Amino acid sequence: MKFSIVFSFWVLLFAGFFLHAEESINDQVRRLAHELRCPTCQGLSVKESEAGIAVNMKLKIRNLLEEGKSEEEVLQYFVDRYGEWILRNPQKKGFNLLLWGLPGVVTLLAIILFFFSAKKWVVRSEKTRERELSEEDKVQIEKDLEKFNSLQ
Amino acid sequence: MNKRVYFLVGFVFILSVLGIFYYGLFFSSDPKEIPSALIGKKAKPFTVTTFDGRKVSLDQFKGQPVILNFWASWCVSCRNEARLLEKLHRMYTPMGAVFIGIAINDKRVDSLAFIRKYGKTYMTAPDDAMGSISLDYGVSAVPETFFIDKAGIIQHKHLSEINLELVHEFVSKQLAL
Repeated sequence: MKFSIVFSFWVLLFAGFFLHAEESINDQVRRLAHELRCPTCQGLSVKESEAGIAVNMKLKIRNLLEEGKSEEEVLQYFVDRYGEWILRNPQKKGFNLLLWGLPGVVTLLAIILFFFSAKKWVVRSEKTRERELSEEDKVQIEKDLEKFNSLQ
Repeated sequence: MNKRVYFLVGFVFILSVLGIFYYGLFFSSDPKEIPSALIGKKAKPFTVTTFDGRKVSLDQFKGQPVILNFWASWCVSCRNEARLLEKLHRMYTPMGAVFIGIAINDKRVDSLAFIRKYGKTYMTAPDDAMGSISLDYGVSAVPETFFIDKAGIIQHKHLSEINLELVHEFVSKQLAL
């Protein structure tokens, strides 16, 4: 009885370990397939596509991972053969850094520009509010008010 | 002064965007022409067993220009180029060129029926179940043809149906005809 409990425990432990390992390689395949562009489809990743070549690519990813290749090495395998074009996200190095950085820089510049413009608008409106009315303006306002009252 | 600068910056920005659109519409490359990272590089070695049972390696053709064609029986363009490829093989193989056809994502029985129907007599072999050779050559669709020179370097990749001029130009140059 005691032996069977201990035996079951170890079997479950090993089964759990292997199931987890299997699951993690599936996750890796899915993640890497999502990062690669399907060469025959339009706007689809390898993960989303069921085209023959995309299916082959998924099998190859699994095969390379099982051979012990790292995720970077798997992606590099495809870049070496298809070019950087195969990656859905350009690599963050060299000229590509401009692609990644430019949107942030433009947004920052826009915020700075907006901040200074807004400040200028506030100062201008405050100045307008503070301005004293000239005698001429006062007379004109009086005249307009009289005209307005006579119309009522 | 400030207004003028703002106007100028805005004008340049709009002009740049329009310029990019114009370039994209009229001058960019054909989206079907996927760039190959393998041009000018050594062709990946492979060994296959042909449909008629011969073991063939790319290495054994060193010193000969190789026309490596990827095809499938279900591909319409492959049907269109099948007879031309056979004709080119009969024309240039006696002069020293090598024609190899690799069937990808195809059932063996369908490939064999295709070979019979179009009278293919040059070396044809199936890729493995994972399409290892086609992936090694960065094949994106069929038909796709690679021109490998006498030194084993990939000189050119052609996507879609092959044409006589392309093969003639390559083989003539390689064999100094």
